[in-house]
Amino acid sequence: MKLDITILRYLPEQAAEPFSQTYSVPYDASTSVLDALTYIKEELDPTLSYRWSCRMAICGSCGMMINGKPILGCNVFLRDYAKTGMLIEPLAHFPVERDLIIDMESFLTHLEAVKPYLINKKAQGVQTFEPHVQTPQQMDKYQQFSNCINCGLCYSACPQFGLNPEFIGPAALTLAHRYNLDSRDQGQAERMPMINSEEGAWSCTFVGYCSEVCPKQVDPAAAVNQSKVTSATDLLLSLLGGRS
Amino acid sequence: MSYRPPLTRTWWLKNNAFKAYMLRELTALPLLFFLLCLAIGLYSLGQGEQHWQHWQTVMHNPLVLLINAVAFAASLFHAWTFFQLFPRVMPIRLGGTTVPAAALVAGQWAGVVSVFALVAWLFWG
Repeated sequence: MKLDITILRYLPEQAAEPFSQTYSVPYDASTSVLDALTYIKEELDPTLSYRWSCRMAICGSCGMMINGKPILGCNVFLRDYAKTGMLIEPLAHFPVERDLIIDMESFLTHLEAVKPYLINKKAQGVQTFEPHVQTPQQMDKYQQFSNCINCGLCYSACPQFGLNPEFIGPAALTLAHRYNLDSRDQGQAERMPMINSEEGAWSCTFVGYCSEVCPKQVDPAAAVNQSKVTSATDLLLSLLGGRS
Repeated sequence: MSYRPPLTRTWWLKNNAFKAYMLRELTALPLLFFLLCLAIGLYSLGQGEQHWQHWQTVMHNPLVLLINAVAFAASLFHAWTFFQLFPRVMPIRLGGTTVPAAALVAGQWAGVVSVFALVAWLFWG
């Protein structure tokens, strides 16, 4: 069996605009899209560029648009596209460096901005190391939101990020919420100005597609909209003078 | 030299999830029409009987009835989408366990039914 795969290519040293190129790739029931790209690079066209690493939907490197949907190339099989055909494009809403390789700088900047780590005032200059005790119920509050693999699919699914790249975006806001929900963390006050800002949670209009495409069922749309509740509570507390 | 693909005005036609989202947001337009009708009705009530009768005549216009019927359907559709999202935005925990989403959705519909019953009792009871 063979499938014609069309790839939107971009070779800046050859052409200013991207162009389509079609490859005929043999496949069986177990051939993933990532396998197909490897076949193309090794057997048909060594100039093709794409990112990959783990081949098992853990590393989050091989995100791409397949027939307009953000998806991990290793997480989907050619056999499912026998009838529809296949168009592969780089992840939407990001600048394209070359072929399927996007520039994730804006995503990484947003991730960094939310201080995605435990902030614990007691830990400053501590001399003795004690474990951060946490009950299963406390862990249950945030665990789902900690499964993010930073693949960026949710940003490609988010029209608000597409319209305004300054929007902090689903994954970063989810991570902020994940740490705000963590009983070991005391950094919520430091994260709230960012969440409350124009580019924060309120830029989300709950399109919800980010949660549909998430390969780890993190449900970023839920996290972002839960942040709106946190943000509204924070505003109310600050108006009443009770903000910590 | 990186290339930034443009986001066209028709971005929402690209897939069904975006179309469903736009349909949800579009429900605001017929509801706006209904609210305008309601506001003008209240204003007419204050202006005396002649204004009020005229407003009632306009309200019985088939086109106005049709748009308001669409607004009613749109509000129910919007409620349906909203009720489904609610358990994800405000998960409720009782005694360490999360209340099932289906129970929250059912609770909201029960609220809608009770409002309908109250209105029916007020006007036809």
